[in-house]
Amino acid sequence: MTTQLPPGFELEKVDDRIMTLNVGPQHPGSGHMRLIIKVDGDYIVSCDPDPGYVHRGEEKMAEYRNYIQNIPHLERPVIHDSSNILYPYCLAVEDLLGIEVPERAKYVRVIASELNRCIYTLYWLAIYGIFLGHSTMFMWSAGDRELFIDLLEAMSGARVTHAFLVPGGVRNDLPANFEERCLRQVNYFEKRLREYEDIFYQNPLLKARTEDTGILSRTDAIRLGTTGSVLRASGVDFDIRKKEPYDVYENLDFDTVVMKEGDSYARSRVPYLEMFESCRIIKDALRKMPKSGSVRTKLKPNPKGGNDEVYRRIESGRGALGYYIVSNNRPEPYRVKISVGSFRNLICIPYLLKGEKLGNMPAVYWSLNYWPVEADR
Amino acid sequence: MSTIAPEFRLSRFIASLFDIIFWILLIFSLVGLPIVFIILFYIKLPLINGQLLTPYLAMTWLADPSRSVPIIKSFIHTTFFKVAVFPGFGFAALLAAATIFIERKFLAKMQLRVGPLYCGKIEGILQLMGDGLKLMSKEIIIPAKADKPIFWIGPLLFVGTAGAFVSLIPVAPGWVVANPNVGLLAVFATIGFFPIIAVLSAWAANSKWTFIGGLRALHQMISFEIPLILSLLSIVILSGTLNLSQIVESQKHYWWIVFTPISAIVFFITIIAELERIPFDLPEAESEIVAGWLTEFSGMMYGLIQLGTYLKLYAFAGLFTVLFLGGWNGPMVWPPFPEDIVTHGITIGPVTAKFPGLPLFDQEMLNGTLWFVIKTAGVILLILLPRGVFPRIRIDMLLHNGWYKWIGLAFVNIFIALGLLYAGVLGPGGLIH
Amino acid sequence: MSTAVGIIKALNSGVKHLAVKRFTLRYPEQKLKFVGDGFQFNPEAGVGIAGLRGRHILYHEHCTGCQLCAVACEGIAEAIGMVKVNETWKQNKKAIMPQIDYGKCVFCGLCVDACPFYALYMTNDYELSSFTKSALIYTPGQLAIKPKMSQDVEIKIDDRGASHG
Repeated sequence: MTTQLPPGFELEKVDDRIMTLNVGPQHPGSGHMRLIIKVDGDYIVSCDPDPGYVHRGEEKMAEYRNYIQNIPHLERPVIHDSSNILYPYCLAVEDLLGIEVPERAKYVRVIASELNRCIYTLYWLAIYGIFLGHSTMFMWSAGDRELFIDLLEAMSGARVTHAFLVPGGVRNDLPANFEERCLRQVNYFEKRLREYEDIFYQNPLLKARTEDTGILSRTDAIRLGTTGSVLRASGVDFDIRKKEPYDVYENLDFDTVVMKEGDSYARSRVPYLEMFESCRIIKDALRKMPKSGSVRTKLKPNPKGGNDEVYRRIESGRGALGYYIVSNNRPEPYRVKISVGSFRNLICIPYLLKGEKLGNMPAVYWSLNYWPVEADR
Repeated sequence: MSTIAPEFRLSRFIASLFDIIFWILLIFSLVGLPIVFIILFYIKLPLINGQLLTPYLAMTWLADPSRSVPIIKSFIHTTFFKVAVFPGFGFAALLAAATIFIERKFLAKMQLRVGPLYCGKIEGILQLMGDGLKLMSKEIIIPAKADKPIFWIGPLLFVGTAGAFVSLIPVAPGWVVANPNVGLLAVFATIGFFPIIAVLSAWAANSKWTFIGGLRALHQMISFEIPLILSLLSIVILSGTLNLSQIVESQKHYWWIVFTPISAIVFFITIIAELERIPFDLPEAESEIVAGWLTEFSGMMYGLIQLGTYLKLYAFAGLFTVLFLGGWNGPMVWPPFPEDIVTHGITIGPVTAKFPGLPLFDQEMLNGTLWFVIKTAGVILLILLPRGVFPRIRIDMLLHNGWYKWIGLAFVNIFIALGLLYAGVLGPGGLIH
Repeated sequence: MSTAVGIIKALNSGVKHLAVKRFTLRYPEQKLKFVGDGFQFNPEAGVGIAGLRGRHILYHEHCTGCQLCAVACEGIAEAIGMVKVNETWKQNKKAIMPQIDYGKCVFCGLCVDACPFYALYMTNDYELSSFTKSALIYTPGQLAIKPKMSQDVEIKIDDRGASHG
């Protein structure tokens, strides 16, 4: 062969034993991305994730919108977890423009963030159930998720894409009777969460499928730079809400959930236990919230940031989510860089799937809490 | 079909009506009349009351109520009726359709939701009809490089084998389509075809996902057929016969499940594996191999495969009832046919009509059918239950369990059965009889 | 042995849930209740009032044709365009009012936040489907109609489970 291949390409030897499978975007087991898996009988020889099917150029588009118009735009990567993906943006813009947020607004933001975290985790658990063939898990999680979506609809006005957090606070105050309704539904939800134990987490078939598969050791987790519940399931005690607290998290009392095994079962259990902690945070915040007060600081029309740059990050359902904003005296930001937890965890997919059985692929892949839309932005 | 409906015009409607009438007349004359002639030439006409029953005579007699009953009775006892309607295809298909609907509603209740709701006025009862019509209206797409003859006959073979299996199950005393003396062996031979059909259709579709699914189906069905056959050997040892009707008759006083509970459990689990139901639905594992060996079937071929699967479900549940739960035996709860209708006839107002030979089905048969249906429905509900509770099992766990644990347990019960037989407790001439 | 116990516990849990009430909302026959009247904004205080973000409602007697709603939407969805209306109002000398294209609107409500004259609010109406794209563009006259939404059920929690009742 005298033709030169372009850099980065290589010739692949076609082997009789190895079959290349495209767990592609049109597959009930893959989400919005593609995994190119080479299989030798039942064992995966190599796995090559191919993200980028949902890339929209969010960061570039954010440069054409001013700070308030960016709110509905930047919440689109994860539409049902919108408070968490807007939270660091609001914190960063408040730092940039020098805005003070009233106390009640901080509590309302924390409540919205925890409700959204539960919504995202339940959706993730539902899809995990489907990947393993457990349709009841899907239906129960989707049904219980309705309790929270109902609360967020009362709070913000929409079921998904809430556009609720703005720089300066939140867009509207809580409706009447919200505290009592929220407490009732959160209490019922905790009771329902305990029912998941028997049918899902202690189910011998599920344990046989997920225990001891895709083991990520503690040193590897730190070396590969993972974040979020994947890190906490491998024994590293790191939660940004505790280590670098923002808003009123230092006043609220909750624990970090850490498990030591680092296999798929631990990774699927850590977000479940974190939902109990989220319920504790919500109830605590409702108790400690000031009963009245403004929830939004009025901004000057068309606020401009100075020649400045700022970086803030929070803990979302998938890991550390950070925004790096550079401004240069115009109403639109000069550069918005979104650093997403899912994209950091992407490296674990080829690393963990090598040598696994093909039947374990959905269990390991989805337990890494990878949300393709957010990773592609 | 487009989502925006075209405007209604009366002329177009009447033109379409005429179109339909034209096609009906054409097909009737070109196809229907030859079929009538074939029936008249080849089917043996029965003799009733000394007269040969031609179709014209049959229609005259049907109009006269006092003579219609013997015609219907003679028709009921023909083989055609047994194959197509009562213990055969019609009955099984009706039970299969009811099973599909009940499965959806039952799972929905367990999952705290409603299930089919909009089709049909009451709680979605016409959902199945809607699904059937939808499947019939879809285009059947065949992959370009598929092996076309084998691909086409795959679903037909599947339904045919399932139908053959259904025909061996006795529903009431004397009412069984095929009653060979080695009935149980015939059952084993028939279910041995299913892995072959799965692999043939998987291979013919010429795609990687179907290939993996077909191999998994082959492994699963073959490794679970052996415990299935072994677990039934204890019943054969205890009852002394392979004929299914005689096995039911031997359970007049006690059911075999009392003496062979381990066999019953092993049989139950292996039939869930043979039916490819959750937790054993690896060949159709949706999230891993995109519907496995069924991937490339679309439209009515998929409908036929679903029909075959649910016919198999009914047949296996029927087999469980026949072998372990006593088949049609049960206390007589069906009320006897009122005597005076036989002797005096039915009186409505001033008119009295006599119907000689009236009880179309005798009381024993109806009672037996009732008990059979109740027991089979119970077994079907038990088979449906794991679908809402368990996730899917993995192939290596399945093979490990199938070849070690279930065969071992099946042998345990064979030894228990042999022990009971040689100790003189059961069997012909035993203590309990 | 523990696997057998686990399996029986899982089956037990499944069967127990046959007695729990169904949670689903049977949509066209039952519709959800909402708090309040729709999302509104108070420009003086700078804070909104909680409500569902559904179809907009335009109060013709307050709208001055200042185009701030169209300007706010330009960066987001470009769903608001100003059109001339045949009405004469004292506060609306240019006689222009917004028309909203619901094929593009994302229902974020920032136009409501932008209006300083208490003229544009959102209502509880969410059933906006139509057969043609042009029917989705609501003129100012159509936006002035207050919708009547039937509201029947909400989430109720009791001993036998939660349901929409």
